[in-house]
Amino acid sequence: MLLQTGFIYFATVIVVCALMVITRKNPVHSVLFMLPLFFHVAGIFIMLNAEFVAAVQVLVYAGAIMVLFLFVVMLLNIQKERVRPRVGLKWTFTAPLGLTLFGFLVAILVRSQYNGTQGSFTIEAVKQIGNSQAIGQVLYTDFLFPFEVASVILLVAMVGAIVLAKKRLD
Amino acid sequence: MLETPGAVLPLNYWPVMVYGLIAIAFGIVTITIGYFFRPSKPSQSKLSPYECGCPPVGDARERFSVKFYIIAMLFVLFDLETVFMFPWAIDFKALGAFGFYEMLVFIFILMVGYVYAWKKGALDWD
Amino acid sequence: MVPISHILILAGMIFALGVVCVFAHRNILMILIGVEIMLNAAGLAFVAGSMRWGMPEGQIFVLFLMAMAASEVSVGLALVVYLHKRKRSVNIDDFNEMKD
Repeated sequence: MLLQTGFIYFATVIVVCALMVITRKNPVHSVLFMLPLFFHVAGIFIMLNAEFVAAVQVLVYAGAIMVLFLFVVMLLNIQKERVRPRVGLKWTFTAPLGLTLFGFLVAILVRSQYNGTQGSFTIEAVKQIGNSQAIGQVLYTDFLFPFEVASVILLVAMVGAIVLAKKRLD
Repeated sequence: MLETPGAVLPLNYWPVMVYGLIAIAFGIVTITIGYFFRPSKPSQSKLSPYECGCPPVGDARERFSVKFYIIAMLFVLFDLETVFMFPWAIDFKALGAFGFYEMLVFIFILMVGYVYAWKKGALDWD
Repeated sequence: MVPISHILILAGMIFALGVVCVFAHRNILMILIGVEIMLNAAGLAFVAGSMRWGMPEGQIFVLFLMAMAASEVSVGLALVVYLHKRKRSVNIDDFNEMKD
């Protein structure tokens, strides 16, 4: 009962925040509505027993990526230069598009069967060794190569962003 | 419809929720109390933005330098590096020497980016 | 207990909203925000699957997804800053030429 109520609360807030994000005219408001969205997604992660991922969600999305977005919005000072009113029909095309896509996703979900074997990562196992430990034991053994590739991706992003940000206009 | 197997763990997190509710309620309650009890006599000098007692110069919404962006970007990427180090630190004993060396490789690759940022002057303020 | 289908429907809803955000706005920043929302929806589906099938892999892929999202955002926003320096605009319709 408690879990259902919690899930309904989190889901409602997430959907309302996402709607607010996409309908605000001022980018600063959009970015600020992303903050409760990320926190409530972290809440759902906790409901799904993914404590470590929830903590990382708050750290990375709400702590770091949000800050980056806010910095850029402030850096460019977008409110001043009015975003040009584009050729009407903004929501008349995109809202049916989104509804159709959602309908497709639900149709796929309704038709799919949830088969497959259960893994060993059950609640009892998580309670015994802990969520972060269980993740670490798989991440640093089975996922060794993707783990090192992740560092290469971060390196490439760092170099690319520094090159772009330091570039002088000639 | 399938059910997620016995979810009991999240109930340990109710103090976090109570904490968040108290934090939000504290903000709302104090501002509301202040709104009802404070005297409101606005004047020209009271409403002007405060700038160390001097008359304010320029607009508050001034654009700031791209240097802030570079620092914030480096923060985000090294934040991710730290995130990958948390489970490693917890599992350090279980992973043994192999885990130690793979983390050395990980840190070395990111250290290349750090040295690059340093050499390119991304960390210099001027 | 919450059935996995409810969580997947929620993830689908967030994903569709992210797609709408990408298509509805002409502001590059709003498009990047839409991409972030879609990535969050994907992460939610991953974690739901990880919970349902008792596999840690789903949660590990969310970690990789976050590393990817952080890289994407830092490069994307650096591009936005660079384009804004060039054309004083963040409207995507102003960037319709390969070279100018």
